[in-house]
Amino acid sequence: MKLPGFILLMLLCSGGSAWSQKVKLKSEAGMTKAALEVDRHVADIFRRKKLAVPKVVDDSTFLRRSFLVAIGRIPTLEEVSDYLGIDEQGKRKLLIRYLLASDGYRSHMQNYVFDLLRARDGGDRAGAFSAPYMEFIRSSVAANKRWDRFAYDLVSATGSAWEKGNGAVGYYIRDKGMPLDTMQIFTGERLECAQCHDSPTNQWERMDFFELAAFTHGQREINQGVWDKATKGYRDSGTAAFRRTEKGRWYYWLRDNIHYGTLSGQGVGRIQLPSDYQYRDGDPGEHVGGKTPFGKRIRTNDRKDTPQSRVKFAKWMTEKNPNFDYIAVNRMWARVMGSPLSEPVDEYVEANKTASPRLVKFLTRLMVDLEYDLKAFQSILLRTKTFQFAANPEAKKAGVPQGFNGRQISRMSAEQIWDSLVTLVADRPERLPKRKFSDYIYYGGRPVLVGKKTMSELSTELTAIKDPRKYRAYVEGLLKEVQKGGQNSGGNQMMMARRSRPGPSSGLARASELEAPAPDGHLLRAFGQSDRNLVEGATKESNVAQVLELMNGQVEKMVVSNEKAAVYRALTKGQSAEDQIRYIFYAILSRGPSEEEMKMAKGAVAGAQRKGYENLVSALLSTREFMFIR
Amino acid sequence: MRERIFLKGDEVERRQFLVDAARSYLGVSLTTGLSVGLSGTSLGKHYDPKAKAEHVIFLNMGGGMSHLDTFDTKPKNKDIQGPVESIKTTGDFQISEYLAETAKVGKHLCVINSMTSKQGAHSQGQYLLHRSYSPRRTVVHPAIGAWVVRMKGRKNLSLPGFVTTNTSPAYASPGFLGAKYGGVPLGRPDEGLKNSSRPESVSEKDFKRRLEIADAMNRTFKESYGTREVKAYDSLYEEAVKLMESKDLVAFDIRKEPQHIRKAYGEGRFGQGCLLARRLVQAGVRFVEVSLGGWDTHYDNFTAVERQARILDQGFSTLVSDLEKRGLLENTLVVIATEFGRTPKIVEGNRNGRDHHPSAFSAVLAGGGVKGGQKFGQTDHEGARVRKDPVTIQDLNATIAFALGLDHAEVLKSPSGRPFRMGGPEKELGKPIRKIFG
Repeated sequence: MKLPGFILLMLLCSGGSAWSQKVKLKSEAGMTKAALEVDRHVADIFRRKKLAVPKVVDDSTFLRRSFLVAIGRIPTLEEVSDYLGIDEQGKRKLLIRYLLASDGYRSHMQNYVFDLLRARDGGDRAGAFSAPYMEFIRSSVAANKRWDRFAYDLVSATGSAWEKGNGAVGYYIRDKGMPLDTMQIFTGERLECAQCHDSPTNQWERMDFFELAAFTHGQREINQGVWDKATKGYRDSGTAAFRRTEKGRWYYWLRDNIHYGTLSGQGVGRIQLPSDYQYRDGDPGEHVGGKTPFGKRIRTNDRKDTPQSRVKFAKWMTEKNPNFDYIAVNRMWARVMGSPLSEPVDEYVEANKTASPRLVKFLTRLMVDLEYDLKAFQSILLRTKTFQFAANPEAKKAGVPQGFNGRQISRMSAEQIWDSLVTLVADRPERLPKRKFSDYIYYGGRPVLVGKKTMSELSTELTAIKDPRKYRAYVEGLLKEVQKGGQNSGGNQMMMARRSRPGPSSGLARASELEAPAPDGHLLRAFGQSDRNLVEGATKESNVAQVLELMNGQVEKMVVSNEKAAVYRALTKGQSAEDQIRYIFYAILSRGPSEEEMKMAKGAVAGAQRKGYENLVSALLSTREFMFIR
Repeated sequence: MRERIFLKGDEVERRQFLVDAARSYLGVSLTTGLSVGLSGTSLGKHYDPKAKAEHVIFLNMGGGMSHLDTFDTKPKNKDIQGPVESIKTTGDFQISEYLAETAKVGKHLCVINSMTSKQGAHSQGQYLLHRSYSPRRTVVHPAIGAWVVRMKGRKNLSLPGFVTTNTSPAYASPGFLGAKYGGVPLGRPDEGLKNSSRPESVSEKDFKRRLEIADAMNRTFKESYGTREVKAYDSLYEEAVKLMESKDLVAFDIRKEPQHIRKAYGEGRFGQGCLLARRLVQAGVRFVEVSLGGWDTHYDNFTAVERQARILDQGFSTLVSDLEKRGLLENTLVVIATEFGRTPKIVEGNRNGRDHHPSAFSAVLAGGGVKGGQKFGQTDHEGARVRKDPVTIQDLNATIAFALGLDHAEVLKSPSGRPFRMGGPEKELGKPIRKIFG
């Protein structure tokens, strides 16, 4: 007998892998036990609040919900029929394993981290540093890097973004001069509100802001001064004129693509109060040293520089910091359960002040024990009964935090909608084109110095020269080679280089592989993808542009009127009209039609041939059921 | 008085319902004929009968526009001014050399130099600017454009009342007022309203069929999951179908403009957005927002501000003179606003950057009954603090309400029964700057 692909995959990934034996907690049994523990704490809440325990969802709802939550798309027709077609104890657990082993997990999580960090392709200066930075995020998510390590790397990075594996430098370069979003993202304290005044909405004072900013202060480009001196003679006769010369273009390209993407040192540990400092605890212009505003107290000197203060700060933030732990827990809980343990998701609350102190304490402990392995943590949550609770439209009104009283029904994110549409077009969404990265040097839109130098070597060498005259000699020597190389453009390496220009994919690909953010006017933006100006700036609010997109726009072009779209395999797979309709329902809504729906659908396709099915597909894509996660 | 304003919004809705019903039951399109009679200033009484504005064009300078290098220059204080020179205008004030064209329309402008806020973070600052409230976990506050449509009603019933372009859809939020008051976010101004016609491959019959099937399925779904978010899409489908049938859709198409006019506005997104805004206002859209980001000039302030200011200069000055030429400036309030200003201190380490500075910044008003050529409020010699006539974000939004003849203190209740006002929370309720009106 031929096994369905799904089962085959399940069998393949259920073999005991190396780590599951080493680390007990992450073993199948360990995860199941932890999941039970979570459910036990949740059950306590229901008992205390005297609430009815929500029902557990049926297989098709579970299937759809798990796909969207774990890998950000709906299941394909094959995945639906495989899953619903087997009768196997524990198939829900196996499904979770299947999903977390898929590249879809990386893709979906990558969208999340991009949004959190406001990461964007291109950036302000011609893509200077963003390629290695985006690659750093992508590869960290793909490797499931410990979350504390990831945060530590971002905050403490130094050197050039183009050095191998050093893309984390892009984090501060993304926001030159604005260092404290970190606090909201990782520790759930909004100190950025206190940069100009004592915060009107929380306890932070302006002094707290500066004492914290002191740790990250002292971020400079490497060799900015050397570049300035080396080019001064040229620029004296007019910057604009110099920029138009070949030499000028090259110098400015190096400034924007190499130097702009560098960070010297790792902080100086003190900062001057600004001229409008208005409180009694400091004078304008006075130096203040670093002081952490909560958690473990650490300080730096206000009279002299403390080298590597950013490293101290990064350690403080990620080591035994209850804020860091809770925010990671709350974020992951919200991701899986649909709403956070406490709102807003990025505000720290002490365990004792939450609805379930014991649950929160257990989860924070779990996060630490799992060594900040977000994938394993989500995996445990996905195995709980709590995750399987039926959606409850009254969840918000029940007087307990959402997530405990049945799932809050919510619209798919823009990325989930896009990736689901892509699923209806492509056979294997995980195999669509991905973003690319390489460190070939692209100058004037083409690879140069191929086989001679890489971006990484170029940045190391350029940032090491401290004498402006030597700098000039190096740069201008290189320019000659670039010009010479222009004529000679053959060779395999050159071909390779042409094909591997770093950057996002385009067209039919998953949202994580497309330009971030998608260009204005793209379906992703109409449905509220973040413009990456603000932390977690995405929105799920509805608007007319979305409806037009569904009825007349991309959805019509890409899916409904596309004969080759995967959804129409339902027509070859099914023999009778009834079968065909059933498969279309499976493909789009992950469930079969009710009797009434079947009658209606049959009416729609009867005698209408192809158009009838197109009408059905278009209509199902316009339903709330398609767009909302139950 | 307040009662009546309340009713006015409802009145518009009620008549709209009649139009729709007439169309579907009688099979005739009454929209165009009726909307003329229903529109305009004849509906209801104004809060202030002197109010002239019927439209707002809101130009959002995202990222924190440096007041010192645009509308509040300090020519005598070179330390904080850097390389920027000041120039005279046709109004009673000076501005930055980067705004040479704007200087020529100075006689139409009221420059407010005394904006002040306590919000120094982008996210919260932009939220406040757009909604008069600080973000709270329990409610989504409506955008000012949504307030305006809710309180003043639509003017052209076949077009949306509120449109945004070049802007995050978040700023088009209807908040608790409900989806039909939200803005229609347009991605690119030159693409107009995308997808506004039925695809050629889909016949009218098929189109209707699709809507019927979806509608039947939605009814079942809503029985079990009828949350506000789910239901919100219902009114949007109606809205979308109505829009598709509108004769005035051409207002969205800036390609209909002669080439020299398109060029005059500036060929980038912002300039073309300003042109689109003028076309929409002409066709009766109440509130249009056009954004220009890129003002977060921590790094290399003077290069970046010069670049952004030149874009603003061309789009804005052309908009004002174009509106004036067409007799639309009188009833259209144009606003330039930003979430905060930038520090007088120049940070050398960041290639002469400027950081966030909410204590003092600038905004500009033109048209809609505002007296031109004047300056309101004042900062100290450094541009660090407000010296005279402080204006909060809520005051600015209350002034927009005032120009439109709306009561900014009018209370509307959220579904959970909590009171909200266009002019902000009770404790920080804005006051309109009445003095600047003619």
